[in-house]
Amino acid sequence: MSGTTDLPPAPEVAGISLDGSDPYTISAEQNAALCRSTGVAPAADGSAHPIYYYIATQVAMGKTVAGLCAACEFDVEDGPMMGSSGVRFAGALRVGVPYQVSGEILGLTRKRSRKLGVMDVLEYRLRLHAPDGVAIAETTNVWVLPRPALA
Amino acid sequence: MTLRPGDALAEFVIDSVSAAAMKDWAVFLADPNPIHLDPAVVKAKGLGDRVINQGPANVAYVINMLLLAVPGAAIAALDAKFLDNAYAGDRLIAGGSVTALTAAQADCDIWVRAEGRGQIISGTATLTLPHA
Repeated sequence: MSGTTDLPPAPEVAGISLDGSDPYTISAEQNAALCRSTGVAPAADGSAHPIYYYIATQVAMGKTVAGLCAACEFDVEDGPMMGSSGVRFAGALRVGVPYQVSGEILGLTRKRSRKLGVMDVLEYRLRLHAPDGVAIAETTNVWVLPRPALA
Repeated sequence: MTLRPGDALAEFVIDSVSAAAMKDWAVFLADPNPIHLDPAVVKAKGLGDRVINQGPANVAYVINMLLLAVPGAAIAALDAKFLDNAYAGDRLIAGGSVTALTAAQADCDIWVRAEGRGQIISGTATLTLPHA
């Protein structure tokens, strides 16, 4: 069977807030370590590696990775997988700036895959706000949550 | 530098994905998923016999490639699809090509290839060009 009408519906999670509480500040030391771990030197102008769009939003969103999975009734120990990640920048991320995170779950869709069997596709959006409130980056990520027990 | 549609972007190479760096990224991401830290867990899950690089680290290689290939450019947009895992010890090559160009921006296809196994990331990016 290729459809999903025989399966229980995915949990209703669209709209759940992922707003963070504490700001995230990229330290110069960690930015330097991160840059070196990827094979480049840190910028000398105070800009941070752009991959902090993903790191800062994940660390400072309103749920942990395990908590985000739990909201989808998925045990993080079962292995969420990254499907895709997209980002739009309005400017450079900078070290030493406290960024606030806002965001929400966009949806959870149950699907069948020839490779993975039954899976839920989680889509969520997060924004990094500079201290003046301007969203400096917005990311939309897709995770795949395998559901072997439903196969 | 002068870009033209169809131009290949200079590749960025990771000679050997580092298991030690994965431990650092577990801290950066506040995510101690053991598939990045313990090869026994990877094996138990049937995912291989080497630790698996964090997906955002693979995206970081793409970003490095873009910023080194077009000096002075900034990334306006990036969309990456994860096709496969990168494992400790893999040799990775990040690359891309220019698909469209204006005075202000360059649209690019991007990819990361694991030597001997094929693409692990594909996608697109838009660069804001210097002096735009």
